[in-house]
Amino acid sequence: MAMLATIVDSKALLETAAVAVVAGVGITIAFSFAIYGVARFADARRAGAPLAAGAAAALAVLALAACAAGITAAILVMISD
Amino acid sequence: MGSDVVLVIVVATALAFDFTNGFHDTANVVATSISTRAMSPRIAVGYAAILNFVGAFISLEVAATVAEDVVEAGAVTPTIVFAGLIGAIAWNLITWYYGLPSSSSHALIGGVVGSTIAAVGTGAVLFDGVVGEVLIPAVVAPIVAFAVGALAILASYRIVGRQRPGPVSRGYRLGQTVTGGLLALAHGTNDAQKTMGVITLALVANGTLSENAGVPTWVVVSAATAIALGTYSGGWRIIRTMGTRIIKMDAAQGFSAQGAGAAVILSSSHFGFPLSTTQVISGGVMGAGAGKRVSAVRWGVAGNIVVAWLLTLPAAAGFGAAAYGVTRVFGTGAVGPVVVAAAATILIATLFARRARQGAPVPAG
Repeated sequence: MAMLATIVDSKALLETAAVAVVAGVGITIAFSFAIYGVARFADARRAGAPLAAGAAAALAVLALAACAAGITAAILVMISD
Repeated sequence: MGSDVVLVIVVATALAFDFTNGFHDTANVVATSISTRAMSPRIAVGYAAILNFVGAFISLEVAATVAEDVVEAGAVTPTIVFAGLIGAIAWNLITWYYGLPSSSSHALIGGVVGSTIAAVGTGAVLFDGVVGEVLIPAVVAPIVAFAVGALAILASYRIVGRQRPGPVSRGYRLGQTVTGGLLALAHGTNDAQKTMGVITLALVANGTLSENAGVPTWVVVSAATAIALGTYSGGWRIIRTMGTRIIKMDAAQGFSAQGAGAAVILSSSHFGFPLSTTQVISGGVMGAGAGKRVSAVRWGVAGNIVVAWLLTLPAAAGFGAAAYGVTRVFGTGAVGPVVVAAAATILIATLFARRARQGAPVPAG
């Protein structure tokens, strides 16, 4: 077991797993909030609630920006290899 | 002169392997986008081919691992690398023909390790690299992809669960054009680099390249082109058979599965781990399925992955060793590789013809 620990670059492996979890789950959460925002925006606009519609639109834009930033950062890190 | 002929055969064989890798893996890369109707098959395949090509250019860490951390580059010859490739191709062909689970990536590394052991003994194999950078990540990566897929789908259902399904589905389908593209990009990054690594290893073994020279640009371009052409060619077969091969899932699951697969493959590529992209994508799909309903998952796929883990490396190593033995029967010159390459081409053509007569092949994993 100790020998395996010396062979395996556990730091790189843990970082790989952590980055994958944060990026994979994070981007899905951010995109889900974008969809939520768009859906709520449409509902609020139909219901004649401009404040709620504005808040929902802001949430959608912010969430989409977070997605785009995450994906761009990931690709930039890859290109810098 | 003789070693240059062998080198040309090695490069051609490696690019053929890369082409078949793209051909074989198209299904994994585009199936999710097609099954959720995020993209038409024609667009999904063309898009995947282009992004596989682009992906091959964004990192060289995996190529460095294959070229430097599996066997001693100074101890191997182009003939040994050739025999390793033949071992990998033979194992891939047998598993394809009989419908056994396999991994092209593990077959490639197993083949090279086997031919090296047969030629110069175990001393030239870098077992620390094989275990630490190939075997352990091979086990960990699909499990991480499963966890990411499951967590992602649970989170997305929690966020959009009470919204009207129409806009939600349309939103995730739109998102899949991005995650599907990222998955194709990730596939090109990890898989094309294995071929780059093998060709670089052969160039170093032949003395054409110094040990720390890195991957030449023509190797990157040719590997990228081969995997993109393979992806595009493989797609048309998928279009014909997709009705029976694609698992049904909703757009949110498709988005989560593709995001999980892309995240794991891209982060592993960054650290130089050569993975079985098929197994990682399967892990992501199973995770997204289990997150919704555990019984909806085809757990047989998980069994196939375990069988592939256990079988592929030793079996491909055996075939690699045997290929080296057969090559050496004809001496140390170029005759052995020429004869074995010709025999392999005839065998592949025969098996393809027999399979074509019998009907569509069973997917190998």
